[in-house]
Amino acid sequence: MKNWIIELWYFRELLWALTLKEIKIRYKQTILGVAWAILQPAALTLIFTIVFGLFLKVNSGDIPYPIFAYSALLPWTFFTTAVSFGALSVVNNGNLVTKVYFPREILPFSAVFAAFFDFAMASIIFLIMLVYYKIDLTLNLFLLIIPVVSILLFTAGISLLLSALNVLFRDIRFLVPLILQIWLYATPVIYPLDQVPEKYRFLMLFNPMTSLIESFRNFALHKGSVSAGMIFLSIIVSVLTFILGYLFFKVRERVFADVI
Amino acid sequence: MKKQENNFVVSFENVTKTYRISKGKYGLLSETISDGLELILAREKTGRNLIAALKNVSFKIKKGEVIGIIGRNGAGKTTILKLISNITYPDKGLVNVYGKIGAFIELGAGLHHELTGRENIYLYGAILGMARKQINEKFDKIVDFAEIQKFLDTPIKKYSSGMYSRLGFSVCAFCDPDILLVDEVLAVGDVNFQKKCLAKMHSFAREKTVVFVSHNLDAIKQICTRVIYIKSGKISSWGAPNSVIKTYLRDQKLSSPLLDA
Repeated sequence: MKNWIIELWYFRELLWALTLKEIKIRYKQTILGVAWAILQPAALTLIFTIVFGLFLKVNSGDIPYPIFAYSALLPWTFFTTAVSFGALSVVNNGNLVTKVYFPREILPFSAVFAAFFDFAMASIIFLIMLVYYKIDLTLNLFLLIIPVVSILLFTAGISLLLSALNVLFRDIRFLVPLILQIWLYATPVIYPLDQVPEKYRFLMLFNPMTSLIESFRNFALHKGSVSAGMIFLSIIVSVLTFILGYLFFKVRERVFADVI
Repeated sequence: MKKQENNFVVSFENVTKTYRISKGKYGLLSETISDGLELILAREKTGRNLIAALKNVSFKIKKGEVIGIIGRNGAGKTTILKLISNITYPDKGLVNVYGKIGAFIELGAGLHHELTGRENIYLYGAILGMARKQINEKFDKIVDFAEIQKFLDTPIKKYSSGMYSRLGFSVCAFCDPDILLVDEVLAVGDVNFQKKCLAKMHSFAREKTVVFVSHNLDAIKQICTRVIYIKSGKISSWGAPNSVIKTYLRDQKLSSPLLDA
């Protein structure tokens, strides 16, 4: 594993260059350009606010529903964008993989970093919303680094795993959007965790995104039901997912060029 | 990158590389699953549907040599380049390479058609392992050599295929590799550019090593110090360019009499 990290460090400029490429290409020949990074979570927030906040009256406690939804959709959109692009990254760059040598994990990593750029853009709106809804901007915001880094690791791990699998089974391309859609409903994005009936709540915790999203929301809005134990567990699960995804990817990497 | 022993930069020892040929459209589900498991578990490939691209190939390349590889389509030439550049791995045998590799294996690989010429130079440079600073230093030379000054800020999807290959070759040639691998790609450029490329490869040869795959036997004769002739996955002959090329041409005539005409 040490060798992999040394090699990755040697190729760090490539990681940067490919991330830039991802960002540039995604918004080339679009009219709205980078605004899309903000529009995606914002549009979802709007529709969720209308359907779940207004029509179905989901109880978000004393947090106004729009910022309740956005505070989860912000990290959630990062997760889905990164995984959707990351899962396809190796196959979509097949012409590179079969022609040039470099550590292949750079491909899913650059997809994740490009999605992180979108996340940073969309965070600006989040800050504006925090001010608008008069939520205290305290030093607590710095604690967001804990869920953000955990989500980043978890996302990278899932992307590594799926991108390697997608080389062997192209079914992944069709599975990913489906799974992500189901996953959204299995995660407390639209509804708060404490609205889940008590006897099912422990089931929710098998989903790592539950505590990751909840702790992001908790740290940002200073409210919620996440315990220190849950946060600790989610960090461990994220690190493990990353390591397992990385190992699987590196073991399979050798056949990529032959199979693509 | 390993430390160099003696003055070999590339050595192949009894290298065998097999590829799986696909089963066609109606592969049985059970087959798919067992093959999938095999791929996941990285077991040794089993006998079904395998084709050997290289069989027990051994050779060594010394520093400063310009090696030409010739042979018919599908003989295993590109597989050798891919093994040297670490893109793929042998099933049996050892491949050792000492030094930084610049591989120009296919036209346009590593170039992205939505990006401009300038952006592509930085991207492709990074893919070849160059730092941004290095690219900045060589930027003008690359642009000059590729002759694309006017189109630097045009997305390369608007480029002609000649411009594509000039851009690709230039970045490769200036990425300062110890070993330059060039596959049959010069065919696209016009005669002038081909000459320039050959001259560039020739100038390389004093301190670096070049491995050149081509069907252009005149080019091979011009710049190569040694030629390897690959025939269905095995080295058929190697040595001085003139004699190996003669053997190759004789073989070709035997297998397809039409060439006599």
